[in-house]
Amino acid sequence: MNEALALLQLHDLDLLERELADRKAQTRLRRFGLAMVPSNVIERARQRCLESIDPRWLYHYERSNQRYGRGVVAVRDRVCQGCHITLPTSRMPNAAGALTLCEFCGRVLYWA
Amino acid sequence: MPTTLDPSVLDTALFIPDLRTRRKESVLQELVARAHEAGVVREPELLIETLYLRERLGSTAIGKSVAVPHARSIAVIEARVLVARSRRGIEWKAEDELPVQLVFLVITPGEFSIEAHHEWVARAVTFARLQRKRAKLLEATTSEAGATVLREFTA
Repeated sequence: MNEALALLQLHDLDLLERELADRKAQTRLRRFGLAMVPSNVIERARQRCLESIDPRWLYHYERSNQRYGRGVVAVRDRVCQGCHITLPTSRMPNAAGALTLCEFCGRVLYWA
Repeated sequence: MPTTLDPSVLDTALFIPDLRTRRKESVLQELVARAHEAGVVREPELLIETLYLRERLGSTAIGKSVAVPHARSIAVIEARVLVARSRRGIEWKAEDELPVQLVFLVITPGEFSIEAHHEWVARAVTFARLQRKRAKLLEATTSEAGATVLREFTA
């Protein structure tokens, strides 16, 4: 798995895990008929992701995740979707799918 | 919970009136591919993987031949509800064991809170639980007729 995609998947897994751990959310889902059952599938998928990510990105991801609740955010029209500040053109990576850090909030940025 | 939704939420042009596949995984792939073509998903493979994982935590079939698969993902650019219909039915591990004929895929971006995401899911579930709406959707003979029923979703 490519590193950027592994980091994005880690993000989705963390959202899913948070939903699973949220009692109010689980009560709502049961009411909808969409109950979730705790399972080790998330942890196993998480381990697979961790193997593909450089520790440097992981450090920044975990730090942002603890601080803001999300470790990686997408960039849309050159705007960080975490702090909503427009990023300088000089910071744009050459290729799509690259990871950089937001110089304003420190979140990991995914350039789609 | 909001009583109305922006009509763009449910793009009736994304209605799939007759799914050819009978496998749950293929249905999710087809719906995500449609969302990707419409420009509301940036990494379709990632979203498919997230939806598969969600299914492994519990079936999203809610009974009465309806499934509401849903995901909050960084792969989603704009929130959408996509609807698909299967004439033959799809095996979805429903509690009532009925094959699924109507699929409401709810996708929201990672920036959405759990509550905001669940509001969208609730909207789909409420609509799908109404027997009259389900029957109208199943009986619609043309895509346009199906789309007309779905417009009531945002009304």
